[in-house]
Amino acid sequence: MSDIFYTKDHEWIKVNGNEGIVGITAYASEQLGDIVFVELPQEGTIFDQGKDVAVIESVKAASEIYNPTSGEIIEINSSLEENPEIINDDPLLAGWLYKIKISNSEELKNLMNEEDYKKLIEG
Amino acid sequence: MSELLNENFHIEKTSLFDFHNQMNAKMVSFGGYYLPINYAGGIISEHIHTRSKASIFDVSHMGQIEINGPFIMEALEKILPISFSKMLPGKVKYTQFINHEGKIIDDLMVHRTDNENSVWLVVNAACKEKDIEHLRASLNKNFDINLRNDLSLIAIQGPKAEESLLKLIPSLLNMDFMSSNWTNHKNYKILVTRCGYTGEDGFEISVPNKYVTSFTESLLKNPDVKLAGLGARDSLRLEAGLCLYGHDISLKTSPIEAGLKWSLCKDRVSSADFIGGNAIRGEVNKGPVRSLLGFLPKGRAPAREGTLIYDSNDNLIGEVTSGGFSPSLGVPISMGYINTPSLDQKEIFLDVRGKKIPADVVKLPFVPHNYFKKGD
Repeated sequence: MSDIFYTKDHEWIKVNGNEGIVGITAYASEQLGDIVFVELPQEGTIFDQGKDVAVIESVKAASEIYNPTSGEIIEINSSLEENPEIINDDPLLAGWLYKIKISNSEELKNLMNEEDYKKLIEG
Repeated sequence: MSELLNENFHIEKTSLFDFHNQMNAKMVSFGGYYLPINYAGGIISEHIHTRSKASIFDVSHMGQIEINGPFIMEALEKILPISFSKMLPGKVKYTQFINHEGKIIDDLMVHRTDNENSVWLVVNAACKEKDIEHLRASLNKNFDINLRNDLSLIAIQGPKAEESLLKLIPSLLNMDFMSSNWTNHKNYKILVTRCGYTGEDGFEISVPNKYVTSFTESLLKNPDVKLAGLGARDSLRLEAGLCLYGHDISLKTSPIEAGLKWSLCKDRVSSADFIGGNAIRGEVNKGPVRSLLGFLPKGRAPAREGTLIYDSNDNLIGEVTSGGFSPSLGVPISMGYINTPSLDQKEIFLDVRGKKIPADVVKLPFVPHNYFKKGD
């Protein structure tokens, strides 16, 4: 089983034990276009699954990011503050948004695997 | 993105629709038309290319209206705050249709043509029907109002626009800014106007629908010329401080508030002998209740349309009407209205998702205009 899960809103979460790293998919980055600003959550705050947790602004518009699993924010990718375009360049690695301590791994069942996500965007 | 996509009415295709798809455009609906928001390079690179070289925009969604009939200029002066007698044939002016309350029905370009019985207008896509209704209601029935759906409209904008166009049509050398010229190209007639919506030098060119793809392709043979979409058009016009109808100007705003007094003929405002003239004259005498200004938010967060503006005592003093990111300056920029009593505020606060972001108040434009002046 893959340790990367996807939401229907085009976030990904890479799970390692009870921690997850969250970002947006290459498809989302492509759709948004040039990213110019990212508003990240405060470390230490707790978000439920599906809550709006961050905002990514492209030249065109602001888009909300929905938290894939409930938990506490333990680290944010602060390099995005000065260089938000990293998300466009490398959405799956260097463009990660935040790390979260997963409070309920059962919730991962609500998310998609890579195959299902591919079907969604190709659909 | 949603504001561009949530338009439910019937969506038209311009004559360049297939061409845009071939060129890998990302298409959206805007003003009732499918148009490219950007091509493969993205908005920022299209924007920067326009400021440094030249870009082509499909603006065929705009309404090109020809009105014919004796004394058409006299008739139009009853609804437009301009003086045709102060325009030479071939000159073009930016103006507005104004209602009885002095608010803006639409903004448009009006051409005085070589034929005293014919006037040419270019209006906003989403306002075409409303404008034609307004024209029919205000003009004598003898005038022939003809929406020229047989013509496409493309804009070529940027410092290399003239050089690129001259390679195809050398006779267009040194046209005045805000002037227009019917000319022959190959076996068809085109109308070339030196104007635009980016703050750069450039031209808008009316081309018969069936020739517009080949005409566009000939311009693109020049490596200085690339395609640009609505996204870059919006960021370019915002940097240039140019109003967008339905956002910065609308039926709720007057030309005086919007800083467009320069476009109104002074004598016509004094005589107030056009629709909305009394309201405009009154407003000029009393001063507007609010004014359109530019804002530079601190930090990187763009303050977009609808963002509320507060003073340092937390009083609501205005609202942002356009906002985004400036690719030329590398910072967010916004424009919007501030109520007159608060106009002396040097620093204001923009409410972006509940955070009050301080911003400097600046005069428009954000990026100086680079229009063509003879002798340059």
